[in-house]
Amino acid sequence: MEDDVKDGGDRRNFLIKLTSVVGGAGVAAACVPFVASMNPTSDVLAKAETEVDLSGIPPGGVHTVAWQGKPVFVLHRTPEEIAAAEATNGVIDPQPDAKRVIKPEWLVVIGICTHMGCVPTKEGPGWTCHCHGSQYDDSGRVVRGPAPKNLEVPPYHFESANKIIIGKA
Amino acid sequence: MSGPIINWIDKRFPLTSFVKHELTDYPTPRNLSYWWNFGFLAGIVLVMQVATGIFLAMHYKADASLAFDSIQHIMREVNYGWLLRYMHAVGASAFFFVIFVHMARTLYYGSFRAPRELLWWTGQGLLLMLMATAFMGYLLPWGQMSFWGATVITNLFKVTPFIGDDIVIWLRGDYSVGDDTLTRFFSLHYLFPFLIIGAVIVHLVALHTVKSSNPSGIDLKAKDNIPFHPYFTAKDLYGLGIFLIVYSVFVFFMPNSLIEPANNVPANPMVTPNHIVPEWYFLPFYAILRSVPNMFGGVVAMALAVMMFAFMPFLDRSRIPGGARYRPIYRIQFYLFLLDMLVLGYVGYKPPTNPSIVVVGQVATFCYFASFFVVPFVSKMEESWLIKRGLPQGIMELMEREKRDLEERKQEHRRRKGDTV
Amino acid sequence: MSTLLKVMLLGLLSMSAYAEEAKLEKIEVATDKPALARGAEDWMNNCHSCHTMKYVKYRDLLNLGIDKAKVDGWRGEASLDTPVIAQMSEADDMATFARVPPDLSLMAQARDGGPNYMYSYLIGYYLKPDGTAGNHVFPETKMPDPLGISSASDAAQRSEIKKTAGSITSFLTWAADPHAGERTKLGNYVMVYLVLLSGLLYLVKKQIWSRLK
Repeated sequence: MEDDVKDGGDRRNFLIKLTSVVGGAGVAAACVPFVASMNPTSDVLAKAETEVDLSGIPPGGVHTVAWQGKPVFVLHRTPEEIAAAEATNGVIDPQPDAKRVIKPEWLVVIGICTHMGCVPTKEGPGWTCHCHGSQYDDSGRVVRGPAPKNLEVPPYHFESANKIIIGKA
Repeated sequence: MSGPIINWIDKRFPLTSFVKHELTDYPTPRNLSYWWNFGFLAGIVLVMQVATGIFLAMHYKADASLAFDSIQHIMREVNYGWLLRYMHAVGASAFFFVIFVHMARTLYYGSFRAPRELLWWTGQGLLLMLMATAFMGYLLPWGQMSFWGATVITNLFKVTPFIGDDIVIWLRGDYSVGDDTLTRFFSLHYLFPFLIIGAVIVHLVALHTVKSSNPSGIDLKAKDNIPFHPYFTAKDLYGLGIFLIVYSVFVFFMPNSLIEPANNVPANPMVTPNHIVPEWYFLPFYAILRSVPNMFGGVVAMALAVMMFAFMPFLDRSRIPGGARYRPIYRIQFYLFLLDMLVLGYVGYKPPTNPSIVVVGQVATFCYFASFFVVPFVSKMEESWLIKRGLPQGIMELMEREKRDLEERKQEHRRRKGDTV
Repeated sequence: MSTLLKVMLLGLLSMSAYAEEAKLEKIEVATDKPALARGAEDWMNNCHSCHTMKYVKYRDLLNLGIDKAKVDGWRGEASLDTPVIAQMSEADDMATFARVPPDLSLMAQARDGGPNYMYSYLIGYYLKPDGTAGNHVFPETKMPDPLGISSASDAAQRSEIKKTAGSITSFLTWAADPHAGERTKLGNYVMVYLVLLSGLLYLVKKQIWSRLK
């Protein structure tokens, strides 16, 4: 029949403690594949980089490309636009234009308003977001609220003079 | 158990008393062997199948033009998708293996006898639901074997009198197995496990009402019972460890041994593979279907073959407890039945073009049903033979007591009847 | 009960082993990256003109360690993330063979015998008396002898062709189950862990049951 060892005795028992830890670790490790399976799959990750051919964009023109499913604006700036962008630092989220571009002729920004995530429209100089009226200049810096921050610059690099790869700095 | 939180809960929900009644104080015969581990294992496999299934469903596409590709997407691009899919595929086989052992144990030790008939019948219901779930799940990869398996099995309903053809079309939602069939099978394949969970709860309530049977077959007195926890939790967990080792060998080292090569070819309604076979767990029943030359008869025989187990509480007329343990003839019957199942499985695997295989299948099918039908006569004869030969003292006493109780109940019944008249 | 069950299980296993095709040539498939890269090249040179491999992408070939310039040569204008598609169009296939050659991504698992079947099929061509090529393993095949083994009589040439066939088979085996290496590696860790855990659980069970007299 049952000994006098009750639950209190069990808890102090080293072997049972050890087994519980080993078993618990196994259960936790078994959860890893389940959690990991919900992460982006390898073919989604392959879309982490987007090639953009710049040769087709005329000065003053803007192309919208998809990177990780998000719109990215690629603006070929004219000398006047560059001069205007370099003249100020912005007001709400000040930042010099030089910090936001690799080559001054090319502005690459993620086209998602930093306020509520709508896509701004190119209007005159800069962009206007029609959801809540935020405005950005030709450096993607916010010039009128409610947006709190400038348009984000994605990591990118020039693979050749006419080709950029977005997704890798 | 104590502590303010437990107290707070206990005032509102019988948590402590539930755990006490069903676990820490739940009386379990101490002489249960490892053959009694398989019910617990079936529960664990059910949980694993539901878990892997839910995560697979996040990536699977139930569309005839996408299903096959989405399986390859899972196998190649989803993080650990190959692991989830192999766990689910091997898990289906593991489920049947565990359930078959669980059933074999019940048959061997006569655990289906009074008062456990309802427990046995809920188990029979669970087997049917498991078979339906496995069958529908097998269509989802949309390979050749999936497609033709579903075609053949839905065609079985053709034998329904008068409305057979309409039923087949209704089941498929199409004139042949198609996109709509796939979508509804997916829907039901996701639903059925939850019905199974509900039925498992009923099964467990029945178990906890009549308590576990045990190898000696004698209902043990209170002093031979021990609490389920910690004794059987420890024993069940050790058994689980051993089970997981075998399961993992299949998942990690030979997962494709359980997948028919033809199912790696996308479904093609225009070409039937030369040799279509069901999964191994359906093979004996498939052999019975093929062994009856008449189509209607074959379907009825197959359905009956699955349902025969439910009749065992009526068929076994012996009053000697403990199943095969104290009954040498019943034990021989049991092993012959297992052997017959293996022969039927082999016949089901072989193509039916070989005439000697057909004959073997027909003989084995006859033996299958005969082994049920002889049980009432053999069990009665065996009983009187054993009593004449002499039985262990305890068993004789138990049988005497049962007989007395029955007599008393009968007299009680008669007396009440007399009163009302 | 247990011994008898074991005997029956053994019987069942031997029965299924007996069911295997006997006439197939056995092959040990290679699983190391250099061999697979070689296999990929052999496949590209001998099979890619007609066969697609739609579940394999050019990037996967790059991950096998094949030179980027070679992969760029195979993919042409296509991006690295496009599936490997046959050079011949399906219309041309229909015109030439009256059927589209099957996709080969899963072929190593789609036939009884698996890799052994693939290998035996590739080297199973022979010259029939009428001068056309037949195949021992798959007599109804529509595919012309791709490696030219039916017309090779020289022993050195034949063994060279067999080597290529083996290399292609290894590549096809990988393509059908690219995570197999990762799977067995993880499996080894899981086995060690489970044996350890089961040992501990056995001791726990023994200890707890020892309280009973």
